[in-house]
Amino acid sequence: MSAAIPNIESKSLMTGVERIGNILKRKPVDRIGLYEHFWGDTQKKWTAAGHLRPGESLEDHFNFDLQLFWPFNMTARLDYVPEIIDENEETVLTRDGNGAVLRRHKLHDATPEHVDFLVRDRATWEEHAKPHLSPDRARIDFEGYRNARRQAREGNRFFAWSGTNVFEMMHPVCGHEYMLMGMAVDPEWVCDMVDTYSRLAVSLMEILFAEEGYPDGLWFYEDMGFKGRPFFSLDMYRAIIQPGHRSTIDFARSHGLPVIMHSCGYVEPLLPGMLEAGIDCLQVIEVKAGMDLLALYRDYGERLSLMGGIDVRVLYSNDRQRIDAELRQKIPVVKGRFGYVLHSDHSIPDQVEYDSYRFFVERGMELGRY
Amino acid sequence: MDDILQRIATCIERGKVNATSPYPPDLKGQDGAHELTKAALEMGVSPSEVLAQGLVVGMNSIGRKFSENKVFVPDLLMASKAMQAAMVHLKPFFESGEAKHRGTFIIGTVQGDLHDIGKNLVSMVMEGGGWEVIDLGVDVSTEKFLDALKSHPGSAVGLSALLTTTMVNMEKTVAAVRTQHPDTKIIVGGAPLTAEYAKKIGADAYAPDPQGALDYLVGAVA
Repeated sequence: MSAAIPNIESKSLMTGVERIGNILKRKPVDRIGLYEHFWGDTQKKWTAAGHLRPGESLEDHFNFDLQLFWPFNMTARLDYVPEIIDENEETVLTRDGNGAVLRRHKLHDATPEHVDFLVRDRATWEEHAKPHLSPDRARIDFEGYRNARRQAREGNRFFAWSGTNVFEMMHPVCGHEYMLMGMAVDPEWVCDMVDTYSRLAVSLMEILFAEEGYPDGLWFYEDMGFKGRPFFSLDMYRAIIQPGHRSTIDFARSHGLPVIMHSCGYVEPLLPGMLEAGIDCLQVIEVKAGMDLLALYRDYGERLSLMGGIDVRVLYSNDRQRIDAELRQKIPVVKGRFGYVLHSDHSIPDQVEYDSYRFFVERGMELGRY
Repeated sequence: MDDILQRIATCIERGKVNATSPYPPDLKGQDGAHELTKAALEMGVSPSEVLAQGLVVGMNSIGRKFSENKVFVPDLLMASKAMQAAMVHLKPFFESGEAKHRGTFIIGTVQGDLHDIGKNLVSMVMEGGGWEVIDLGVDVSTEKFLDALKSHPGSAVGLSALLTTTMVNMEKTVAAVRTQHPDTKIIVGGAPLTAEYAKKIGADAYAPDPQGALDYLVGAVA
């Protein structure tokens, strides 16, 4: 059994809540922040190897500064029992409550493939999805939120409500291709989806936070890019997506909550628009898609905090010299304005050995002290 | 004749599908790729000319602009939709042999990977570039690629992977194709891929974007 990492907290002066709170405002802290995402298989492998206790939280083990909880179910038809259409040894094909047909892997972690959709245009959106998207209490996991918030408090971690924003809420209903074509052919339709989903998200947050208390911040997952380019132009972002971002972020602002926005892919061209919408921090800065942490720090570091941007391909080389070089190249620069949280540029797959990840954390924290 | 072929190319590039399509707004009410392709064939323009001087020109132009980040996925999807509207009229000529593709391109995402956006964009640009595309879909085993090559001898192969966890499966497929069909041109692409990795696993080329795949194959078969 590997011991949790004690040296981080024992030498630290601030709690995770204080540290991340300051980092998001780019105010002085004792060290850079620490957080990470993992593939489920990674935790299983590290647990099987005896590095983690069964059920031990990664937040506790690595002394992360943040804890997230995703309490909302945005599926259009909550009462719909997913129907199995086809199944073989490796995959299962189901239709879900969004009217989408999904193929999932049974043997390992993977994002499901969207095979077909009932919603393909404005008419099918109005028939199959929109009427169901009401702020029903059944969409909210009150108990899970309550427990996660309490655990974060006990661990002195910054607690963020997490969930998708409008772009990531739309594509499970109609798929990327219909949505992106809709942005060109019928932008009013996509604007209506953006408006519907952003209103729903705000309504649900109002209900949840009034009953269970506020989080320390909001974390939106919003994958708007892929390799080398965003899915759409900055003009399209401003015209179609940004109104949804503005309304959800304005809600956060009105309650003093900072906003972290995650996006995979190359989204640098969209950053001016995302800053106009009011984000405080960009995560995850995917190097293999073309994102450059040092360039972002140079160009936006005065106005924007950053989380991620450490090439995960270096981590799964399991070569300590390479990991050290990657950290030494970036951390001393990006810690400059107090606005950086250490995180890989995506998530940790099971090719990364426990000892390599642990070295990454310990070396990163060492370089990230002030 | 040149005028109608130029107009077809413009419709493909701008994503003008047919006369009733409201997109793009500045071409609203005008004939689209569907009507103009039909008209060109009725005027006696050969299907090969429609393909080479209309569709291929339009798709090459949008593909190049996409490579240069001057247009984005919605523009490419609309161009593809316009191209498919035109292809409906050309299909019988391909079936009869009167028109010929530049070659056949077999594409799929490698085993374990269910992400298909990148693969679909490559398929669209390849088809628009005059290639017959055999799309094997997602999560494609090495055996399926080999079966497709057996059914379509002489084809080029494209392998796509989005995840670092699945790109390792490319190496197995490339090795098997190399062993059984040594002359096959193999292109790889996807978020975690690099030219160095492509070289390491024995692929012929790494395509950073759809137009890169098309340009490589056009050069390779020229």
